[in-house]
Amino acid sequence: MRPFANEPTLELRRAAARESLVAAMRDLDPQLPLAVPILVGRDRGAHEGFESTDPGEPDRVVATAGRATEADAAAAVEAAAAAFPAWRDIGARARADVLVGAAEILRSRRLELAALQVRECAKPWGEADGDVCEAIDFLEYYAREAVRLEHGPDLLQVPGERNSMRYEPRGVCAVIAPWNFPLAIPTGMTSAALAAGNSVVLKPAEQSPASALALVDALRDAGAPPGAISLLPGFGEVGAALVRDPRVHVIAFTGSSAVGLEIVRSSADTPEGQGHVKRVVAEMGGKNAVIVDSDADLDDAVPAIIRSAFVYAGQKCSAASRVLAHEGVADALLERLSGAVNVLIVGQADDFAIDVPPVIERDAQERVRRYAELAASDGRVVAQQPDIPANGWFCAPTLVTDLPPDSAVLRDEIFGPVLAVERVRSIAEACDALERSPFALTGGLFSRNPDTVAEVTRRTPVGNLYVNRHITGAMVGRQPFGGNRRSGIGSKAGGPDYLLQFVEPRVVTENTMRHGLVVE
Amino acid sequence: MSDVEHDPGVEAELNEVGRALYASFPQRSRNPVKALDARAMELASQDAELRAALFRFVDVTPACRSLDDLARHLSGYLNEVDAKPPPLEVAMRMAGTKPGRTALGAAAAGGVRHMAHRFIVGDSPRKALGILRELWEGGAASTVDLLGEATVTEAEADRYAARCAEALDTIAEAAPRWPERPQLEADSLGPLPRANLSVKVSALTPHIRPDAPALGRDDAARRMRPLLRKARDLGAHLHIDMESLDALETTMDLIFELLDEDEFREGPSAGLVLQAYLRESPNQLDSILAWARQSPRKPPLVVRLVKGAYWDHEIVEARQHGWETPVFEVKAECDRNYEQLTRRLLDARPAVRVAIASHNLRSISHAIAYNRHSGGEDRDLELQVLRGLGDELGYALAAQGQRVRVYCPVGDLVAGMAYLVRRLLENTSNESFLHEQAMGVPLEELLAAP
Ligand SMILES: Cc1cc2nc3c(=O)[nH]c(=O)nc-3n(C[C@H](O)[C@H](O)[C@H](O)COP(=O)(O)OP(=O)(O)OC[C@H]3O[C@@H](n4cnc5c(N)ncnc54)[C@H](O)[C@@H]3O)c2cc1C
Repeated sequence: MRPFANEPTLELRRAAARESLVAAMRDLDPQLPLAVPILVGRDRGAHEGFESTDPGEPDRVVATAGRATEADAAAAVEAAAAAFPAWRDIGARARADVLVGAAEILRSRRLELAALQVRECAKPWGEADGDVCEAIDFLEYYAREAVRLEHGPDLLQVPGERNSMRYEPRGVCAVIAPWNFPLAIPTGMTSAALAAGNSVVLKPAEQSPASALALVDALRDAGAPPGAISLLPGFGEVGAALVRDPRVHVIAFTGSSAVGLEIVRSSADTPEGQGHVKRVVAEMGGKNAVIVDSDADLDDAVPAIIRSAFVYAGQKCSAASRVLAHEGVADALLERLSGAVNVLIVGQADDFAIDVPPVIERDAQERVRRYAELAASDGRVVAQQPDIPANGWFCAPTLVTDLPPDSAVLRDEIFGPVLAVERVRSIAEACDALERSPFALTGGLFSRNPDTVAEVTRRTPVGNLYVNRHITGAMVGRQPFGGNRRSGIGSKAGGPDYLLQFVEPRVVTENTMRHGLVVE
Repeated sequence: MSDVEHDPGVEAELNEVGRALYASFPQRSRNPVKALDARAMELASQDAELRAALFRFVDVTPACRSLDDLARHLSGYLNEVDAKPPPLEVAMRMAGTKPGRTALGAAAAGGVRHMAHRFIVGDSPRKALGILRELWEGGAASTVDLLGEATVTEAEADRYAARCAEALDTIAEAAPRWPERPQLEADSLGPLPRANLSVKVSALTPHIRPDAPALGRDDAARRMRPLLRKARDLGAHLHIDMESLDALETTMDLIFELLDEDEFREGPSAGLVLQAYLRESPNQLDSILAWARQSPRKPPLVVRLVKGAYWDHEIVEARQHGWETPVFEVKAECDRNYEQLTRRLLDARPAVRVAIASHNLRSISHAIAYNRHSGGEDRDLELQVLRGLGDELGYALAAQGQRVRVYCPVGDLVAGMAYLVRRLLENTSNESFLHEQAMGVPLEELLAAP
């Protein structure tokens, strides 16, 4: 296999690239709504039960999907358990070929799949294209990782014994995925599990079933046995059933803190007859802050912060929601940030000329509005883009400051376009403030002093610290991604130790001495 | 003629022109990097780590709160340099104590200010008038460029537009009092404005978006129109600089759209920039010429041909995204393309006026030689240099009877830092003509065909 390289995103500064996406949308629209069936092993179930709709135009139905039940979950786990031994035994190289084949299928459909995300999740074009590329990256990267891992690490050898270590897949893996990276995140968790030799039951977010179907189709068309990858479109109860099922070995989850912690709790239960302890890989929320030192170049910091906080309406787990500004630059920074928020363009995701799309659903819109109101009463709103479309789940990008330290606006993950600026007297004070947060996903620092960079690197517990740049957009193989503390348990997605979570290590020691003779 | 790569007649003329120019350089400036008299610059061209340290320092200077802070930054950067030349070891020792840091900070700040003043002619247009007049008297026209911070808000865009308007007023008010310089005031197509301003589109709008070029175009257009009107009414020239590829479509569309509007049919004189480092530049020239030929506008469009100032940026941007690099990666290819575009531009007159902006003796001599060889007059070719980098070259060209314009940045130190750092990088880059010249590469090689 050629060495891993990131799939190039479309060069959207070229008119031809933009037109190719617009054309893809023209082709997609008449096909809507797409039908997403329940896929359990070889069985094809219903594809009508609930709908996903366009957040920017809620009357537009993007997909109708079958609503999987607890019985479907049980059947899918059974199919996965049955498919597991064969999938395990074909070896890493054969599995890698399937993944690479699936990557090729996604590549051939990438324009259409980007268009689908624009509709299903109101993900703006550039972000949607990036999402599809990241999905391709995960498939290609984990395929190579599985091949690398198959050899196992070298151990110390002494005369008379042979030591070897290898990694074996765990079994059935339940993947519970979010909607905000509707293709990339399900692909990442699913392909890691599959590459390592596990079989998978995928439960995508109810907001984005159609993107998940594209993944399952690609894997099966590339040769994954149907039992090794089932699709259960549906709601929380299906996910809960999977988590509870004693035949499930690994649960890979990305989503909210509340659900993540519930999964941890529930999977700890080890009923009679369950011959293993479940392994949970959970990527949960964040409350990500950018520290701006007094020597920062605001020409760089302002656009990078705006991008980190407001692109995709702040709905990335890595998005910035706090800025800790050194008092030496706080006023200038606040003034420029508020001017920059005022020129943000809120509008439909399929328009290249927007900055902020709608949020995913009505509940999210209401939640964001509640926090914006709280921000206004707890602190001082310095900028709020008032010009937002009426129809659709749009929220006004909001910049707030002068909040008391205990304000929920500074504490909770809002997952929307709300950014709070706090003033600090020193970088140490900024680090202290971060120290108090239970979250530790991403963080940012703008400073041109190498000593400050070293200090913040040492002190911040975040999983991913970005220095002098935006804090979103981790790339597979370049920025292995994942949080610490209450932001996540598990290792870095897109990094060299991710697959280890889906395997169990086994060591064999053989005595090679027989009657004083070493038989090699 | 323009497809002939190295016409022997042109080459012979070119050598003559190059030698004559070289001979009329003042002695010390045969080594312009040394002429910067900063020993630091010399060190910087030799050691990549040191170069990085010094540039980071220059870059951060205006943002430091105190001399102490400045010295801490300097020692932080120098710390990362493995082999420190003796003067820097001294600096590091000084950084160890508070009074030492104050002294070091003061010395270093002074050094940066000194350097900045070589490249920046004043912190306001009014303060720059003295130098503009001096240049004019010495036989060189000017174009003023207003340095500014990045534009991220409406207010910043409005402020920049107001500064441009004020600069036009100030220069146009002073320029009529300058003495007559017939060589600078007309070419065979007619009169050339004395007042000349270069503007950047990205400073006139917070909406530059590579994936939505119309957004920035429309927003910048609202601020550009009043400037064009003012330039027209004052009889000044307005030149639109070219920035990175991300702003290219916005910039080109904006220029074509505005200049086609009825109210600008008679003026002002206006111009744009073509970057020869772009692989697509020959096609861009096609569209520029097609536009110029069909446009009913009176004053011919001025095309400033440059190599391009964002080479490293374009390379990094493309590599990080896995895109094909939009720029040539071999310097000689860029230089060859530059000569080809020069020939095509000169051949396209009178549909356009041509300005060759370069400090490369070969590139410039080629333009002069090709122009003469194909029967053009010297006054129908403008040569442009940057203040601080091309001063001596400018004088030499003026002394040879060429029509010269000096690009003069105006602004404060903070605003100027990005500009200064770019110029410093350019000046010490191994591939730069000025660097080669400074390293004592013989004249024959400097003038050899790329
Ligand atoms: C009056 C004036 C106005 C200018 N206005 C603009 C403007 O509006 N926009 C703009 O972008 N630039 C502008 N420039 C800068 C110009 O583009 C060049 O960066 C600068 O003049 C150096 O080029 P040179 O011909 O003087 O020197 P040279 O040393 O001959 O050329 C250096 C240039 O070659 C190119 N280069 C370097 N390495 C390589 C490589 N490995 N492969 C291919 N190409 C390479 C780069 O463009 C580099 O700047 C202007 C310059 C002047 C003098």
